[in-house]
Amino acid sequence: MRPLLAVLLALALTALLIVAAGKNPLLAYAALGRGALGSWDRVGVGLNKATPYVLTGVGVALCFRARVINIGAEGQIALGGLAATWIALTFPQAPPVVLPLLALAAGALTGAGWAALAAAIRLHRGVHEVLVTLLLNFVGVLIVSEALQGSLGEPGAGFPQSPLLPRASWLPRVLKGSDLHAGIVIAVIVVVLAHVLLWRMPFGFRLRVLGASTPAAVYAGISPPRALLGVMSLAGALAGLAGAVEVLGVHYRLIDGFSHGFGFNAVAIALLGALNPITVLPAGLFFGFLETGALAMQRAVGVPTPLVAVIQGLTMIFILSAMGLSARRSKV
Amino acid sequence: MLRMQGISKSFGSVHANRSIDLEVAPGRIVGLLGENGSGKTTLMNILFGIVPPDAGTIVFKGHPLVGHSPREAIAAGIGMIHQHFMLVPAMTVTENVMLGWEATGRWLRPAGVAQQISSASSAYGLGLDPAARVELLPLGAQQRVEIVKAVLRGAELLVLDEPTSSLSPPEVAGLLRILRRLREEGRSVIFISHKLGEVLEVCDEVVVLRDGGVAGRVEAATVDRHELARMMVGREVNAPLDRIARAPGAERLVVANLTACDALEIERVRGLSFSVRAGEVLALVGVDGNGQAELARVIVGIERPTGGAVFVDGAEVTAGGVAARRAAGLAHVPADRATTGLVTDMTIAENLALRAFDEPPLRRGPWLDPDAMTELARERIADFAIRAPGPATVVRTLSGGNQQKIVLARELGSRPAVLVAEQPTRGLDPGATRFVIDQVIALRGAGSAVLYITTELEEALLVADRIGVMHQGRLVGLLRREHVDLGRLGLMMAGALEEPSDPAALYGVPTP
Repeated sequence: MRPLLAVLLALALTALLIVAAGKNPLLAYAALGRGALGSWDRVGVGLNKATPYVLTGVGVALCFRARVINIGAEGQIALGGLAATWIALTFPQAPPVVLPLLALAAGALTGAGWAALAAAIRLHRGVHEVLVTLLLNFVGVLIVSEALQGSLGEPGAGFPQSPLLPRASWLPRVLKGSDLHAGIVIAVIVVVLAHVLLWRMPFGFRLRVLGASTPAAVYAGISPPRALLGVMSLAGALAGLAGAVEVLGVHYRLIDGFSHGFGFNAVAIALLGALNPITVLPAGLFFGFLETGALAMQRAVGVPTPLVAVIQGLTMIFILSAMGLSARRSKV
Repeated sequence: MLRMQGISKSFGSVHANRSIDLEVAPGRIVGLLGENGSGKTTLMNILFGIVPPDAGTIVFKGHPLVGHSPREAIAAGIGMIHQHFMLVPAMTVTENVMLGWEATGRWLRPAGVAQQISSASSAYGLGLDPAARVELLPLGAQQRVEIVKAVLRGAELLVLDEPTSSLSPPEVAGLLRILRRLREEGRSVIFISHKLGEVLEVCDEVVVLRDGGVAGRVEAATVDRHELARMMVGREVNAPLDRIARAPGAERLVVANLTACDALEIERVRGLSFSVRAGEVLALVGVDGNGQAELARVIVGIERPTGGAVFVDGAEVTAGGVAARRAAGLAHVPADRATTGLVTDMTIAENLALRAFDEPPLRRGPWLDPDAMTELARERIADFAIRAPGPATVVRTLSGGNQQKIVLARELGSRPAVLVAEQPTRGLDPGATRFVIDQVIALRGAGSAVLYITTELEEALLVADRIGVMHQGRLVGLLRREHVDLGRLGLMMAGALEEPSDPAALYGVPTP
């Protein structure tokens, strides 16, 4: 109920900004709605947009549950995409079902490795994970750029991008007549698995205890370093998977800067979803549809797309304020 | 001097104070007695202007206090000494006294203030050096800094909130002496406590609070402890379980020449050796901060010792972590219930599973078994008479006593070989305290070995077969309960006396 109210308040406030820009907010929102959900094709585009958000958001939510502040999704996505691209370009002759699976696995493993590196620096050198994951984002994104300028780049493309990946590596479409690819299926499966992991398995119990109180976790025989390494690697794997899905399902090639903004949106989505895998799904869908609708809104009414970022931002602020309020109430 | 009338205060649906009347005459020490949550702190916060009352009037020295701030309360002559001292550790006594004191004027005049501190110190027997850095002073002396601060600011009414909770017995005696001296001058004192003995010793009059209201008001000379306890709890408090004499059994916990450091790598446990036998309670008494916490942490495996060894039922467990010690049969009731012993945002069922969630029957294959958790919780809630709506109740909503019952249910429910209990009755009311002690004695009767760490001598005498005294990380005495002399024990706790341990109590102490 609260999140819904926050969304409505954010839309209402943004309507004022649209009025200030001299446009009719009702027309703008109608265009936004049509652009997001107007046809199966649009729905497919929205779901595609939401897929990496959901995957990454689930990983971040698990980290935050354990009070591990991982903001390194962006770099993990970038390197996941890079690894998937490399596999697809290196083994083009692999059988069609095996190749995308192999590429997805490579993306997940690379993302996990990158996150584990951050965890290792945190544990062995005592640098706070916020700093490590943030800084490794730049390194990860630049490694992708470097690869695209060099051996993985498409000769003569004029833009840092890889050649088109072999058809065999593409994720299959799941809805006739739309661009919707199999990534959303993966995302839904991940959501369910993460839910089971968090609420029905010892690892999830460890994360929840650790997030609630470190002394209690130690008393319970839980090793905080091991849990940190585990949950960071898992979140990295999901982000890497998201990067691979984006490459294999949407662009069919690696494009410089393709991961831009995903990492921080994932943090917002995890919080919007109240750090619960199941509710991260609607939060991710909300962000995805909002973005596809925004492009349509810009085309139809001329409202600039950055206003969508404003809606996202306002929604976040309203939701977090509402959550803060309820936390304070329950303390009395 | 002070008249508070009809003071009421609600927080949401909780009535912290219901129409409380409190009167303090000049030159009187009034004890304010009550369990946790009975409204003592709220009442004093209202007096001091920290929270406004919903209803009621305060008249101090003939002037009404309405909507006042703490600053105005101090100016009017009320001095408040909080349980946690409001001192700047890195500053000297003089600097702390000057801090925020407007009477020092535009220019700081440390020499004059130091002079005043010295004369007050000798007048009241405070023994304070104005130039001493506060962080280097023992807690008792820090408390006297608070007292001198209040007195120099002209406090005619001093409010002391749980002033004895971190003092050794001789320090407590010293504090009570100072309070009597203040009374002789015509100043008044409100002495907040839940310790019946001290209240009866120093107070002229006792006001007992219960559930936010006044449960009774008596002259201290006319009541006994039993009567006061009954007023506090609102019902009879039963005498403790009878202890069955038991022949000492096999050694179940052996600690040999143990040393340990705290987080700052300062050695806090300095070569401790003792053993606890089956069906025996060994109480370790001592003033807080003499290595008890560090000792418990290395025995239960949260920290590694820097030297020495720990054995449970003859098997060395020194190298293992928490899980290994638990598997060896070691249970632990930690001192900090709210952040270590429990996860207060989780349910009762989850808290009862806190240390066993990763082993059968609570884990089946790779899965947690919520039905088994609920089942276990139902059993424990019934066995330990935990007052709660059900297994899915969030622990935070329960009273301190019921929270501690959850810890006890988890740790004692599995009939451990050895129990390490740290301050298990801290912050509990007399009824809940009695419950804890009964459970410990029942566990002793079942053949477990119990190491009971406490700061309360009386409590140690109630539960223990033997009593060891810890001072600065060492065992300065080990006595059988029958041979205990309270005065000597108090001196040992203060570090003023060390005596060769009672030969009758020394059995089984491993030689390094």
